[in-house]
Parts: sequence; structure tokens; C-alpha cells
Amino acid sequence: MHIVVCVKQVPDSTEIKIDIETGTLIRAGVPSIINPYDHFALQKAIELKKAHKCKLTVISMGPPQAKSVIQLGIALGADDGILLSDRAFAGSDTWATSYVISKAIKKVGKIDIILCGMQAIDGDTAQVGPGIAQHLAMPQVTFCEDIKIDGKKIIVRKLIDGGYEIIEANSPALFTMIMPKDFEPRYPAFMDIHNSLDKPYHQWSMADIGAEEQYIGLKGSPTQVDRIYPPPAREKAEMISGGANEAVEKIVDIFEKENFLKI
Amino acid sequence: MASMDTLSRELMLDSLRNYAKKNLTHEFLKEMDDKNEFPTEILKEMYDQSILGVHLLLIPKEYGGISGGTFDVYRVCEVLARIDLGIATGVFATFLGTDPLSVGGTDDQKEEWMTRIAKENLLVAYAATEADAGSDLVNLRTRADHVLKNGELIGYKLTGNKQWISNGAVADVYSVLAMAPGGPSWFMVEKGTEGFSPNKHEDKHGIRLSNTAGLSFDDAYIPKKNLIGNVEGHGLLQAQAVFGYTRVMVAAFGLGCGWEALEVAIKYSQQRIQGGGPLSDKQGYTHKLIVPHAVDLEAARAYIEEISERLDGGEKGLQTEGAIAKYAATESGNQTAEDAIQALGGYGYTKDFSVEKIKRDVKIACIYEGTNEVMEMTIFRGCWQEHLKTRGQHYVSMAEEMDVLHSQTPEVGANSAALALRALAAILEECRIQRLTRHQYITFKLGKLISFAELAFIFARRSSADRYTETIKFDRNVWQTMSRVYAKNAALRIAIEGLALVLGAAEKDTDLAENLNLDKIQVLQKGLISDMDLIALKLKDTFKAK
Amino acid sequence: MITISNKCIGCGKCVPICPFAAVQMMNKKAVMNEACTFCGACVQVCPVDAITIEREDPIHKDFSAHKGVWVFIELEDIPGKGKHPKRIRKVGRELLSEGRKLADTLNEELCAIVLTDKNPGYEKEIGSYGADKVYLVENSELSQYDTDVFSTVIIALINRHKPSVCLYPATIMGRDLAPRVATAIYVGLTADCTGLSIKDGLLLQSRPAFGGNIMADILSPNSRPQMATVRPNVMKLAEPTDKVAVVITEDIKLNKNIKRVKVIERKIVHEKASAKIENSDIIVSGGRGMKDIKKFKILEELADSLNGMVGASRAAVDLGFKEKSRQVGQSGTTVSPKLYVACGISGAVQHIVGMKSSDIIVAINKDPNAPIFNVAKYGIVGDVHEIVPKLIKSIKKRITK
Repeated sequence: MHIVVCVKQVPDSTEIKIDIETGTLIRAGVPSIINPYDHFALQKAIELKKAHKCKLTVISMGPPQAKSVIQLGIALGADDGILLSDRAFAGSDTWATSYVISKAIKKVGKIDIILCGMQAIDGDTAQVGPGIAQHLAMPQVTFCEDIKIDGKKIIVRKLIDGGYEIIEANSPALFTMIMPKDFEPRYPAFMDIHNSLDKPYHQWSMADIGAEEQYIGLKGSPTQVDRIYPPPAREKAEMISGGANEAVEKIVDIFEKENFLKI
Repeated sequence: MASMDTLSRELMLDSLRNYAKKNLTHEFLKEMDDKNEFPTEILKEMYDQSILGVHLLLIPKEYGGISGGTFDVYRVCEVLARIDLGIATGVFATFLGTDPLSVGGTDDQKEEWMTRIAKENLLVAYAATEADAGSDLVNLRTRADHVLKNGELIGYKLTGNKQWISNGAVADVYSVLAMAPGGPSWFMVEKGTEGFSPNKHEDKHGIRLSNTAGLSFDDAYIPKKNLIGNVEGHGLLQAQAVFGYTRVMVAAFGLGCGWEALEVAIKYSQQRIQGGGPLSDKQGYTHKLIVPHAVDLEAARAYIEEISERLDGGEKGLQTEGAIAKYAATESGNQTAEDAIQALGGYGYTKDFSVEKIKRDVKIACIYEGTNEVMEMTIFRGCWQEHLKTRGQHYVSMAEEMDVLHSQTPEVGANSAALALRALAAILEECRIQRLTRHQYITFKLGKLISFAELAFIFARRSSADRYTETIKFDRNVWQTMSRVYAKNAALRIAIEGLALVLGAAEKDTDLAENLNLDKIQVLQKGLISDMDLIALKLKDTFKAK
Repeated sequence: MITISNKCIGCGKCVPICPFAAVQMMNKKAVMNEACTFCGACVQVCPVDAITIEREDPIHKDFSAHKGVWVFIELEDIPGKGKHPKRIRKVGRELLSEGRKLADTLNEELCAIVLTDKNPGYEKEIGSYGADKVYLVENSELSQYDTDVFSTVIIALINRHKPSVCLYPATIMGRDLAPRVATAIYVGLTADCTGLSIKDGLLLQSRPAFGGNIMADILSPNSRPQMATVRPNVMKLAEPTDKVAVVITEDIKLNKNIKRVKVIERKIVHEKASAKIENSDIIVSGGRGMKDIKKFKILEELADSLNGMVGASRAAVDLGFKEKSRQVGQSGTTVSPKLYVACGISGAVQHIVGMKSSDIIVAINKDPNAPIFNVAKYGIVGDVHEIVPKLIKSIKKRITK
């Protein structure tokens, strides 16, 4: 089976830099990491690759510096990597992003499983995974905590409100992964990084994947940022004055007035 | 050995940092420091090839290693020092321990030992120092006596004691320097060899996570194949051959500890409100305890990177340059950590905060791998030779390069650097004329002044480059401002301290004062305080408290 | 526009899958008729990718025909009563309340979408929260959520009735469904909105980003419907009325082969009905300042005296003072009770994000600079261990009076 894992490089801290003009993020100057959900998806993919001798391709859409998450993927065990990078992709919202990635996956050829992290910690939308599945007309299962291959079938444990489902799917299918609370991300040993140097990755542009200009970047994105602003300053709290006894009585007065005291 | 590409190196550093984040928490390190305990499991994991495999960095590819270059090693050492200098020392000792092999070993020996070290993840120790032989290895007393069988040399018996050996009680393999009949020689000794035993783990002021122990050899027998190079007497040369880059590693330690402490202080200063505002806004605080150290550390970084690139480019030796790097970075790191405690006030004095431990740890960097006094002497010796060889032109040529640089890039303080270099040349010349270098004190002080000039020169040059390396956290404007500040300070200190030095020892009258261009140096001090204001502001931005 | 290329091999898989009988085989090739709603079910099953749905150039789209604020209603099993008809999730009432305001501003109708196997009369509750209509699809294939089935139906409804706005809950179901629909019909979708309003006739979608450090206002000017997801416990409930919504039953034939994944097992982890902290009107929460697990217990008394539930900050949960299910914050639950009493909680950003939309926040902390006071309505600077017992006593006294 051929597995593709979609990974994203995201800013490491909550230090935001916004280009006020276009309303898009400025990524330069802020330390970057692999999106933790994608890290989990990648580790799951590697488990599958090892257990079932699958081929594993890691793919990322981002600026040139995102090649570090591609190389990380290869160092952790992927067979090859693809960086989708083109200035024309800048400003893409989740629709345009999933369009670009789906075009690239089409170019990769026949694949069996697509794994994505459930959401990226910068955008938090969880929309790109299902978007890719829809563009590729593939079935999707989101919020998966575990994935196994059984012959030709793929079995996942999916979260639902109040519990979980075990779901069986046929390939090709897309799964978005959410890590359990005790997930410990693995980082490659020095030798693995060293060996990954021998496996070059590909870099594809808009032309390479046949993406149409009208569907990418700011132009192709149906959502637009109208403006960005700091959260509204809250009214300062009314500090209840007096010693402990006095303050307590004042608060209970308020509780009574607001009907919080029930007989 | 060329260094890796930036991307791969950054991935390795990420793996190292993430390992530390998970396993080397502040609480853990504090506990081990309190208990004076070597973290055996941690070192095992760090050497485990499936987890990290740090030791592979210094082993060539052909023996199962990664063939890291000097730049790679500098960065790994810096990051290790930021985590814990004791652990860093443990790793460094393995690097050091394989040096005699790399420099002097036969191909068979390298094949045998390096492959084993790589594959079996062995901890190595470098056993040179003795009770009476520290800076001065000539007093070596550990003996390696011939063992004959049927008149043939079959091996050696080692007898003697080593002192303060890093990884002393925990290493699997030791490189031991002993006096053989043919002269000082290196021998590979395995743990458990009969007659060889490590002593107890020392109770140290700092780097308490580093196992430091004496070694006792009592007729410990080792086969002759364990003599590195199979020839006696080359031990000291073999040791010195790698000083260039072992000194760069310790310089990286100074840099790492210094920046770790400084970052804590910068973040703290934004949260500590006194006198109506955060300390980070108060000049009396920042311009004394923070800004000068940031400047000195970055000057040291520029110099370390220059030397690393030269070594990676294939140059050999560079022992004097290594000494300058080691001296400057460790002096800076030590003073930075000292002031970091001050910067945190009462909090800095308690163990809840990391700065007091960093201060205790970093002190060793001024002592080991050659004390900083030996460094001053080494710097002086090497540079004095250049001065003599070129009939006083050496530093003048460097000054001329700075003149050209200043006309192209006036922001980096190359004009002050030029004045610093010319002043130095004048001082050295006066010392030559009046034979003042017969005073040892003068030579050591000159070593210090030379290091200022050398750093100013390199910092100016590198901060004017089109592209900076990936390690520079600051933008052009800030780094160039730091270079400017460094150069101005260097020029003033060299001129004034050098003049005082000469006048204090001169027996004949001298017009040195006129040749130092003190007037120009003073004029160029203009703008220093606003430069420092800018640096203080940018440090706050770059290291934002949560 | 939908086209079938000459890649078509005449396999006929698309025919039964179409919910609207819009595909027929003619001369061994598939042909579309005008019943097609562009739902995309046939695209998904075609083995040779012979069917394409072309997206219209957005600039030239005429949106005047798009009217109506729609709310997708999520149904949930009633705990302990698996076989009974499902009930409407609370977030649905919240979205209807908010949707009603938007519909009034736009002067359009508020409509609910209900996909179910059997309607027990949901229109009463839906109407009471302001909906004018319910678009109901009843089919045995809709008894449990499935991405393919639900998205097909919703796309069909949207293409048929052309709403201007479509809201979904940002629940596991909603976050699976909404992006699928949005991608298929090429419209804008904004996730986790904390504010919705109308600006120049457009839906203005406000959401926090980067852990709440910035707010962003999003518009989807060039596509309809404008879609958004909203988290539970963010929008306020309106006062219910006795209005009943009109039911419009939509006839959609669902072939079970539309489903491409199979549920082998479903397991609900049963929780006591009262155990969900997000359903409580009053929450008394404790943080690191409660000092230890024994002292933390006094908050149970305070909560009991107010008929509320006890919550905890992440620090308190990490220290073992309270179980994880009671954790309030970014990595716990978002709550918006009528009263939130924060005891010994400093107010780290990741906690505040989980409780700041509470109606009234009262904070007790001995540090006057604790950030919790920035979100609280009332603050007491003092030692919780002194204040809380006095509070309990005073409340009990006041109640018995």
C-alpha cells in the first residue's frame, strides 16, 4: 500500500506576526515546528509502513523553509517527500490549500491511504483534511485515534461525542488523526537524520501539479480576512472592598440579587 | 571535515532539545545537582543510536559515525551547554577521548576502536591530568613500562595516578597519557583492566552531573596494540594537534551557558516591576548587567564561527585562534552568569532559578581544557610571533582591511576596530623596543588585549557580510550595532590599558601616547549610549517573557 | 455544470447512487438529467473519474436568489436510552437563538435542517427557539451520522433551496460534515466562530486565533451560502416561545451504497447525566491556590450550597486535586455558566479561554495582579481558605432566612 501523510510547519509560539495589508501571516522570524497532530499522523504512518511494508510519502505545502518538516518526515522513516511551494500559493485559505494538496496527490499517482493531523495548531480549523478528501472524491474518517491495516481493509478507532466507533474502510480513503493525551512525539536520532540526506525530496510548483490560478492563493480562497485586531479589553473587575467578612456579605448580596441562591 | 547543511544540523539540534525538554527538566537537573549524581540512564540514552547517538558526531562515517564538522560540533556543544554543562562535559570527554586516536592512531586502530565506540555506544574518557601535571603536562609521572616476553615487547604496565578525569568512574574506554621509555604516549585502556581502578566521584562546586574521578594504575597491563600510533613519544604533539578545535568546543560551552543565563535575566527583567516600571526599561540595570554581555557573547560567537569555518575548510592547527575563542567566550560566559544572579536579585540567589547553577557550572570552562591564564599566554605567544615576523605590520594590515570595510559598511564600527588594531600594533612595538615582554605579567595582559582586537576585527567583518549564519537571532541592524559597540569598547580598553601597562614597566621615556590616536578613539565613542539603548530594546523584543 | 466525459466505461455505478434519479444509462454511457442537484454522490463512486462538476466563476454569480439562514441540527442519543428517539443537542438551540437574530437583521427566514430516521416532532422545540421552517429528511439511512450520506443530502438541499447562510455546530460531527460540504460546493467556511453579525448584508464571522491572542473577522463575499461553525456554550440561548416551525419534508432517495465506510462497533462511555460540567448553570472552580487535595474539597461544599458543580484549572487537575473530566480551559471543556466562581486560580490564558463567556465571573485570589481579575466581573483579594468557609456560612444563613 502507498500511504501519503500531509504535514504542516507551524509557528512554535503564540508570537504572531500579521501582514495587516493582506491579512495573512508573516512566518519569517518565528521559530517553527511540525504541527503536533501531523507528527502523530506521521508516527502512525511509520508504524503501518513497518508492519505492512507500505511505501510512505510525506507531503507539505508551505514556504521553502518548510522543507525541514519534509526532511524530518524522511528522517523518521518516510520513503520520500514532496514540498509544495510557490509564491502563488500564499494567502490560500482551507479550500485553496486542500485543492493544491489534492492536485499534488493526484500527481503522485495511485495511493491507498492519506493521513492528516486533525487540525493545525495555528489555524485550528480542521478543514483541510476533509477538503482534500472531497477534492479527491475519497471517503473520510475524522478524529481517528488509531489506525490498523487488515488485509485490504483499513480499521480505525474514531472518536465520537461520548465514546468511539470502530470503522472499516476500503482504500483509497483519508483519515485525520488526533493523538491520545499520553502521546510522546518521537524525534529522529542523529544517524537517521544523517541517512536522510541521501534521500532527496521533490519540490513542486503550481505548474508542476497543474493547479489553476483561479483556485489558489487569495484569489481562489472563498473566505477573506476582513480585519485582525487585538481582543477587546475587558472591563476591569469591580473589586469588592472591605475585610473578609464584609466582602463575603457583599458577594452574597450579589448572589441573592442575581437569583443564584436557591432554596 | 566539512560541516553538514543547516537543515540537517537544525534537525539534530531539535532532536537534542526535544530530548532535553522531555527528560532533563529543571527539577531533574536540580535534583541531580543537589545529590551530586551522574545521570547514568540519561547518558546511556543520549549515546543510544536509536534515540540520539550524540557520540556519533565525532566519529568518521567510515567507522559508523556521522563525520560532523567543527561548525556542527560547536552548535551541538552550545546546545548541550544550555541544557546542562555537566552532561555536556560528559559528552565532550568522549569527543576528547577519541582525539588521540583520530590524530595519531593507525588505520587498524581507528577501525577497531572507533567502530566499537560507535556501535557499542561507549563512553570514553581522556586521561591526561595528574596531581602535578595540569597546565604543564611535561611533569607527567604516570609510567608505561615495557613488558617483555622472550625478549620481545608484548605490552606495557601502567603505574601512576590521574586526577579530575571527566567520565573517570563511568567510562567504558580510556585514552591515557603515560610516560613510556620513548616519551609521552597515548594508550587505550578498557574499563575493568586488572590493576586499573577509578576513584570516587569528586564533590564539585559545579558541573556536578559530570562524573569526575581520579584514576589509579598499579601495574595495569595493556597489550602493545593499545599504544596509539604504535610509536612511543608522540603523545604531547598528538594532544596539541587538536587544541584548535577542542578549544572551540569549550568556547561553545562558554557561549551556551552565557546565553542561557542571559535569556533568563532578560525575561525576568520584563516581569519584575520596581520603581514604577519593569527592570527591562531601566538603563542602570540593562546597560550594566545585560547589554555588555550580549555584545561580548555575540562577538565571541562571531569569532567561534570564523574559526569553525576555517577548520571545516581544511586548515590545520589554529591553536592560537582556538585559544582566543576559548578565552573570550568562557570569560564572557562566566561574567554573564555572575551578573545574571545579580540581575535576578534575591531570586537569582535561590536554587529555584537556574542562574546560580549556571554560574557554578560555567566557572569550570575558565579552568579546564587549559586555564584562561594559559590561554592568555598562548594567545600572546602566537600573536607576538606574527608581530615579529611581519616587523610590526601584522596588525597594521588588519587595520587597513578595516579601513576599506568602513568605507563600504560604516555601520559595523570598522573605524574603531582599525583604531584598536593600530593601537595594539603600537603597543606591541613599544614592548618590543623596550623588551617589556620579559615581564610575564605584561605578556598575559597583552594576550587579553590581543583577544579584544582579534574579536573586534572578526565581528566587524562578519556583521558586514551579506548573509548571516542560521544561528544569529538578531537582524542586521542589531548585530551591526553590537559590533560597533564592541569595537568602540575594544579600542578604548586596548589604548588605555595598553598605555598603562607600558608606562608601568617602561624604563625609558616613550611617546606611545601620541601613537595610540586616543583623541580619535574618544571622538568615536559618540553614540555609544544610544546604541546600547537600541540593543536593550531589541533584546527585550527577541526574548519576550510570557 | 456537470459533465460526463468519454472516460465513462458504462459501469452503471452512478445510476443507483443518485438520490434524485438524475442519472440514466443511454447507449452504455451515463447521462444526466435536470433533476441533478450537484450533490456529487456520483462523482464519488465513479471508478474512472469520468464525472466532473464545474465550479462557476464566483465573480459572476448572482446571489439575489440566496435567501435564508440555515442551522444544521445535530441529534444525540439520550444517555441511557439508546433506542428512544434522539434529542436535539443543546448547541442546536444556541445556534437557532443566534440564527434568529441574523435572520431578523437580514429579513430572511430561519430554517433548521434535520436528518433523521424518524421525526418525533422536533419542529416544536426548533420553532420555540425561533425557526420558521424545518427542512426534514426522513430515511432509515440517516439513523446514524455518515459523512457521505449526510453531505450528499445537505448539498442537495443547499443546491435546491439556496440559503444565504448555513451554520453548523463545531462538534465532532459538525467538523466532519461542514468542510466536506463547503469544499464540494466551493463556499467559504469559518471554524469556531465566537461572534456572528451582519455587515453590509454579509455574514461577519469573528474568531480567535493563536490561542486567543488576536481576533479575526472573516467574510465570504463571493460564495453562497456563507458557512460557519460555532462551538457549544458560546452563543447565548434565547427565551423559548411557543412558536412551532413549519415542516417541509424533502424527498431524497438514499441508496445505501452511498456509504463508503462501515461502522463495526459503536461504544458510548456512559456518564452520569449530571456529570457534564458544561451543562451546569453554576460552577465553582479551583486552581493551584487551593494548595492540596484536602483543602480543595471545601469547594464541593460551596458548589453544593449554590446547587452547582465543581470545576478545576489545568494546574489543579495536574496536581491531582480533581479529575480531568472537570478541567476547564483550552485543553479541557469550554463552559459558559450563569455564575463562575474562580478560587485560587491565577487566570492563565489557556484557562480563561475556557470560561470567559460566563455571565458573571467572581474571582478570589490573594494576588491583586492575578490575570483572572481581568476577566472577572467581581473580585475579592484575599485568602481563599479564609473567604470560602465564610462564604459557605453566609450563603447557608441567607438561604434559611
